Amino acid sequence: MNDNTNSWCFGKIQDNSISTLELTKVYGNFRAVDSLTIDIRSGDIVGFLGPNGAGKTTTIRMLCGLISPSKGNAMIAGLDVVKDNLEIRKIVGLLPESSGFYSWMNAEEYLLHFASLYKIESHIAESRTAALLKKVGLANKSFAPISYYSRGMKQRLALARTLINNPRIIFLDEPTLGLDPKGQQDIQEILLELNKSKNVTIFLSSHAISEVSSLCNKIAIVNRGKLIANGTIEELRKLSGDSNDLVYITVFNSQNTIYALSKLPADIVIRYKVNDTDRKFKTFVVDPKHGDISLNEIMKSFDKVGLQICEIRRVNIGLEEIFFKLTEKRRSKANYNINQQDDLPFGMEKQ
Amino acid sequence: MLELYRHELFGSFYSWRGAAWIIGASLIFSLVSYLLLTDKELSLLDQGEMLFNLAEVIVALGIIMSAANASSTISSEIESGTFESLLLVPISHKQIALQKLYSIITIWIFLYIVSIPYLIVVASGTTLALAAIVYTGVYGTLLITGISLISIAISAKLKSSKNSIMTILMIVLILLAPSIFFASSLKKTNFGTILESINPMSHAVNSLDSVLVDTEQSIFQQIDHIWPIVAFTLICLLIFLVYTRRFEIKGSE
Repeated sequence: MNDNTNSWCFGKIQDNSISTLELTKVYGNFRAVDSLTIDIRSGDIVGFLGPNGAGKTTTIRMLCGLISPSKGNAMIAGLDVVKDNLEIRKIVGLLPESSGFYSWMNAEEYLLHFASLYKIESHIAESRTAALLKKVGLANKSFAPISYYSRGMKQRLALARTLINNPRIIFLDEPTLGLDPKGQQDIQEILLELNKSKNVTIFLSSHAISEVSSLCNKIAIVNRGKLIANGTIEELRKLSGDSNDLVYITVFNSQNTIYALSKLPADIVIRYKVNDTDRKFKTFVVDPKHGDISLNEIMKSFDKVGLQICEIRRVNIGLEEIFFKLTEKRRSKANYNINQQDDLPFGMEKQ
Repeated sequence: MLELYRHELFGSFYSWRGAAWIIGASLIFSLVSYLLLTDKELSLLDQGEMLFNLAEVIVALGIIMSAANASSTISSEIESGTFESLLLVPISHKQIALQKLYSIITIWIFLYIVSIPYLIVVASGTTLALAAIVYTGVYGTLLITGISLISIAISAKLKSSKNSIMTILMIVLILLAPSIFFASSLKKTNFGTILESINPMSHAVNSLDSVLVDTEQSIFQQIDHIWPIVAFTLICLLIFLVYTRRFEIKGSE
């Protein structure tokens, strides 16, 4: 849970841990990261979630020593991000959101170049380059110029570059963005294998909530630069509210549907509306304010206000729901879009 | 230690397109030398003046090439997204900038070596060859180092190749203006005199003129021209050190 201030032991954590204390980055009047305090243990896989502009990339850049904090401090494997900047760069790997490449090089040359910048001996660099190219599935394309590579191939190469110095802590900023499902799966497998075999700490910033929930044992959610939640998915579920379930209800559409919804009792909250392919129906996601409210009671309430239910089902609240709840953002799920024509505001709660 | 330097240099020579500049420079030197030696009007010039013209072309070409190269060296990495990965390697930011500078100066040295046979040919039959080679090398190296230092600083500050190239070309043009655009009468005014006295390019041009045309080849005779050029290079070094102390990338850079 987000109780880091109590468990804070700044500077004493060793191994592959990450700790920040009141970490802040200010650009002019804009606080990109605001007093971020977080402890990540060695070997954790942490999902770093937040809406666009929440400060995820800025946080990662500060932790990698690419930018200096305006206030506060951070330790990476017991090293200070400001004072021990060069040492930190030796032990971390960063896969940025969008990597650039020297397009005139091929993949092998590119990795060997970075190996030389990390001062890795040439025979080790050569064997490591070959192993990494095999691991990311580029072994048979290693002599083609990078300019011929697809987006997915470039992302695989960027991951190989991230791993060239055998990092103890890996920061990944949207690692699977633009990758096909196979590519996404391959990258996830590589990360899990590294975590298991070498106890590598992984700090994963992603918008792919399914990826975060399947890979990460801890999740941190930031919004507007502030850490708003931090813990396991179970802890976040509790933090997000007293309900563990959501109820999907499909009703027969009529002119009075919206009006009727407004007459529902206060303990039934319409979280958002799901797009229906058939205009005859309207589907809503209902969040019972009290977790123990039964489907029967919900059905009765709907019936009372004149809404005719054709389908009702209860689903477990997922990380996506938790994320939306905690960041108080308008819902825009991948499969379900808010139908703007209906003017049904998100979280239409009756007081 | 110099891995990045090697990479930068290799990038400049990698393909025939990368090395096209050296062929272009050779063609320019050949053309200028050919015109100086064969053109009816130009061949009437005193041989010292011919050498002076050739030395001017060599230094000017070196300055323009180095300025263009240096002013995009950081910004092009930022624009192509390679800079973030580069900053992650355990090399200090100053070292990154310095190794880029070394590669630019090395290219000037290549250009200078290519120009030496042309200087020797144009100076044949006189005792000016050595002076032309030494003074062109010294002034070229000092000015190109200074311009490259300030260009890298501008590139790091502006983070845009287009803007930094435009800015540095404007600076080069301002520095060259008294030698190229100012009429003799304007040079003699107070404004012209002050501008010439603080302008390192004017000092280099005037010194080359003095060495090659007036044959005042002693270093003591040129010391008044040398120190402003050295001072300019040191000022550029100071600016370079300030702006390359720490690179920071913001937002979506």
